[in-house]
Amino acid sequence: MRFLKLCLISLALSVLPAQAAPTPQEILAASDAVRNPDYPFGLTNTLVEYKNGQQTDTSTLGIYSKADPSSGQFRSLIRYIAPLRDANKLILYSGRDLWFYDPSSKASIRMSPQQRLLGQASNGDVVTVNLAKDYQATSATEEDTQDGDRQTRHCYKVAMQAGTADATYHHIDMWIEVSTFHPVKARFYADSSKLLKSAYYRKYEKQLGIERPTETVIIDGLDPKWVTVMRYSDLVKRDVPDLWLQREYLPRFKPE
Amino acid sequence: MKRLLLCIALVIPARWVLAQEDSDLQALQLADQFSAQPAAPSNWRAFIEGSVGGAVLRSTDTFQAEQRASLDVRYDDTFAPGWRAVFSDRLDAYNPAQKPFETAINTIRESYLSWQAQTDLLFDLGRINERNGVALGYNPTDYFKNNAVRSAVSVDPNSLKENRQGSVMLRAQKLSDNGSVTLLYSPRLEQTPSYADFNPDLAATNSNNRWLLSYSPKFSNEFNPKLLIFKADQMPTQFGLNLTNLVNDAMVVYLEWSGGRQLSQLAQAEQLLAMPYQNDEAFRNRISTGLTYTTENKLSLTAELEYNGAGLDQQPWNAIAGSPLYGRYRYWLQDIQESPTKRTGFVYASWQDAGINHLDLSAMERVDLVDSSRLSWLEARYHLAHAEFALQWQRNSGSRFSEFGATAQTQIWALVGRFYF
Repeated sequence: MRFLKLCLISLALSVLPAQAAPTPQEILAASDAVRNPDYPFGLTNTLVEYKNGQQTDTSTLGIYSKADPSSGQFRSLIRYIAPLRDANKLILYSGRDLWFYDPSSKASIRMSPQQRLLGQASNGDVVTVNLAKDYQATSATEEDTQDGDRQTRHCYKVAMQAGTADATYHHIDMWIEVSTFHPVKARFYADSSKLLKSAYYRKYEKQLGIERPTETVIIDGLDPKWVTVMRYSDLVKRDVPDLWLQREYLPRFKPE
Repeated sequence: MKRLLLCIALVIPARWVLAQEDSDLQALQLADQFSAQPAAPSNWRAFIEGSVGGAVLRSTDTFQAEQRASLDVRYDDTFAPGWRAVFSDRLDAYNPAQKPFETAINTIRESYLSWQAQTDLLFDLGRINERNGVALGYNPTDYFKNNAVRSAVSVDPNSLKENRQGSVMLRAQKLSDNGSVTLLYSPRLEQTPSYADFNPDLAATNSNNRWLLSYSPKFSNEFNPKLLIFKADQMPTQFGLNLTNLVNDAMVVYLEWSGGRQLSQLAQAEQLLAMPYQNDEAFRNRISTGLTYTTENKLSLTAELEYNGAGLDQQPWNAIAGSPLYGRYRYWLQDIQESPTKRTGFVYASWQDAGINHLDLSAMERVDLVDSSRLSWLEARYHLAHAEFALQWQRNSGSRFSEFGATAQTQIWALVGRFYF
């Protein structure tokens, strides 16, 4: 369905006169559709962190996501697979509502969004987020930019502002390829306009019907030598029952 | 002048953009080296742990060395559709031995089978570590903690929650999209405690019949309280409540309450010791409330106030100091993990990547607000992919018969190494 929407938007862009150009919010929504399937899914996220050119951390997370029909935003269950000391710990992520579960202590602890999972990757980076649900795109101007593979892409530079309390960042600039709506890169800012981080979406591969980025490179805004790479694999359409997405189910969660 | 300012205004942003693109390019080249393969999920988690250290004894002001070796195993497998087996065990060998144990202390933390009869209906049977409570330092609704710790390797509340044995029980849980109901029954199986190294010690956590009903309605993503009703033999029904709330992106507040009619702890201790006691049964509250604040650089601070309505105020606490009852009261409280007095303050700080990558610092201060005694604890933990190393320090201070001033050790040091395999 999302694929069909994308095709229709692309088709409309190619045949309609200039005044029918998509709005900034439509461009953002089309870009979300490239990153996120519009049905429940599971994937494996392998994260590697580099500092000063050296690999300092690696971890593997299993992620199970499903959109909330009322808000349109994704709810996710994150399971640590590696490193060994964290294996089988869980995080339930539903907007700003986060619960951490440790099978060793049997403790379910409520977390604040500021408590991070791993390095530079915030909770909002690791889980699936539909930006168009949390941000209001205010402008879209065309310009060329370098993508994550150092190729020049003709993009919309979409400027967006936080529109809900669930938004992690005050404002974001995102470059979205004009012809495909592929997100190319993004810059995330605090309300002081300080650059918090940059992200490059790259290594596009055909997954679940369309070309999607299989790697995100996150660069710290203050320390550009602090780099986190997230690589996605095993993306599958799967059932994620609502039952799973509550605190009381965490001790029960055993997907295999 | 205007031209100069215009040039500066144009050149500085352009230089900034170029510098940013250059640093992005270097980062992307680094990311090109990515070669990690996703790890496969495992049903096992196991580690060995060694500790060397010792304690300064209060009685002689001398240092007594202590070593410990531990094996920790957890297995969790879905062996057939709808069926799950969980086994969790820890073996601690101490030198010198921890009396009354002879050499080693084995703790079967969990050993149970789980059956998912329907998608939303589950049954568990076996030894289960049933834990409730949202507070960090003191959990009034953790009704199954009594006598659960056989081997206390650290005073860190996270360690005490993890390294304890469960209770044998039959547990049923009904889930829906709007919440969960759990009913469990834990029977009396054994009355005589065992200190044999590998004994499952059923008497410790199954010495009386207990029932627990808990209900977690899900009103919204933000608000999902938990209500509990607990009943044990020879004890009136106790009621419990757990509440949490997110104040802002950095702060969580919580409240944990348990209340019901019961004797004071002192009267309960006298009753258990077959001593004459005053029947002071009354409705007594236990409360633990606090907040956790996380800074942008991964420092989490928790401050908690703890109230134990069955504990002693200053006057009766002073009155029993030094009496034969005092020692036995303290000994029993250690088993049931309760404070001897009514009010305690608790502060816990943990800092991930504390200035150095992979170095985690933790600090805890527990203050008995009735007798002003203190327990202080610090830990520095450095972790690698398959190993962790920690340096721990603990100090117990206070007047002679105070909660922490009467402990056998004034200070405890430990250097710990842990290896996962």
